[in-house]
Amino acid sequence: MSDVPSAAARESALIGTFADLVDTMVDDFDAVDLLHLLVERSVQLLGVAAAGLMIADQRGSMQVVAASSEHARLLELFQLQAAQGPCLDAFHTGQPVLVNDLDAVAMTERWPVFAPEAVRSGYLSVSAIPMRLRLETIGALNLFSTRPGALTDPDLRLAQSLAHAATIGILQERTLRRHEILTEQLQTALNNRVIIEQAKGMLAHAGKLPLDEAFTTLRNYSRHHQSRMSDVATALTTQTLEPREVLAHRGTRSTTE
Amino acid sequence: MAAEIRGRHPGMTFVGRWWVRMLHGAPIRSVAALQTALAVRLSDVAAPGGPFQVLCDACQSLLAVDGASVTISNATGTRETLCASNQTIALLEQLEYTLGEGPAHQAYTTGRPVLISDLDADGTPEWPTLASSLASSLAGTSIAAIFAFPLQYGSARAGTLMLYRATAGRLSAEHLANALQIVDLATGLLIGLPDGMDGASRDGPPNSYISLAPARGRVHQATGMLMAEFTIPADQALSRLRGHAFATGRLIDDVAADLVASRLRPSDLGGLGG
Repeated sequence: MSDVPSAAARESALIGTFADLVDTMVDDFDAVDLLHLLVERSVQLLGVAAAGLMIADQRGSMQVVAASSEHARLLELFQLQAAQGPCLDAFHTGQPVLVNDLDAVAMTERWPVFAPEAVRSGYLSVSAIPMRLRLETIGALNLFSTRPGALTDPDLRLAQSLAHAATIGILQERTLRRHEILTEQLQTALNNRVIIEQAKGMLAHAGKLPLDEAFTTLRNYSRHHQSRMSDVATALTTQTLEPREVLAHRGTRSTTE
Repeated sequence: MAAEIRGRHPGMTFVGRWWVRMLHGAPIRSVAALQTALAVRLSDVAAPGGPFQVLCDACQSLLAVDGASVTISNATGTRETLCASNQTIALLEQLEYTLGEGPAHQAYTTGRPVLISDLDADGTPEWPTLASSLASSLAGTSIAAIFAFPLQYGSARAGTLMLYRATAGRLSAEHLANALQIVDLATGLLIGLPDGMDGASRDGPPNSYISLAPARGRVHQATGMLMAEFTIPADQALSRLRGHAFATGRLIDDVAADLVASRLRPSDLGGLGG
């Protein structure tokens, strides 16, 4: 559970997030690390309980590529929205979808599977912010809170900036080949997520860990070695890096925790 | 086509002509129809025109491209083109093989799609020799746009699907969606993850390898568990998963769920008897 941060803590977190975002955009990096950074910071900055990022798979559906927690239940709740939910609506309309009370009858009527599932998991409000690229929406940032009341300004404005940063992070360059680059980036990000899921399975089995801890281990190792998570996951899944090397970092905490 | 069949088979009934037309490959009009055609081919391996040829030929009408090819590759640089829908793209594949560079090569080695909507304008920094060879080797035909997709499941990469157009222009959103679904079908032929896993209708579009739907996500994780247990790559791990599911008469996603929930141990899937 997150509490709304104090003004000083929030300002510090904002400055830190801005600096980290700019760092990733200047250095050689890939979209996956940026997207994970954004969902983590969303939780800290906006005082929400959970954040998830879904992107278009360009085959007519959406897939979750990053979440503030890798608990299976939370991932399922995000992925459920590929079929129905505020995230899907935001994706189709290109407009934010702000839900103050998920428990209301109107919400259950609107999203008969998603709404009760979210409430059952303890979430009472949702804000879904589209990731817009000119006229096209390429995904959406999902923010769940355990308190009623969706985001309002200035938090809403900040959330929109974070979603915008995610869009820029995926596209990375302004170019006439924008559509082609977008496709290349989206498909690569999606396949990278599959590699990360495989790596989670490897670490979970090798270290006898729950899957979400396996992810944390992967992330901590990557940050400690200043490597891309995708690269570490690829190294694990192609047997050029052994699970025990990554698991040795289980006890350490990265500075951003 | 119809007149031709009537000419060759006078007196055949309407239904009979329909069957002959199906067997001789009428134009495939949707990705779902392609999926069905592939399933038919797989169940009768002796039928003329293997599944890859069907897939390549279907690309022309489904994606509004002028040619398509599927090539399998491995890490040591061995390549084999499984199908090419015409001479032009067959020649392009041969050029890639000879020069050791090109859009399919780039897609395979990077694991990223290579989308060149306009060969002249976009520039080809990764394969300059091939680009200049294209002009001289293919006088009379032109390749103005090339789209190459890796066929992969996570870190397991099997090869590429390559498309070309004689006129410049990017893939529309609809054609891109079809192309990606065909990429999924081709990947399925090579790596063999069965479709219809997430409770999706078998009449629907093929399930994507990049799906993170809960059941499919567990397959990815279970694959990873087997990779760690046996120190094998993703495609072999998937083979074991599939073999065990088949041997026990269960769905892959159920076996995967059991592995992830520790109701089944990866070591239980050891050996050919799995």
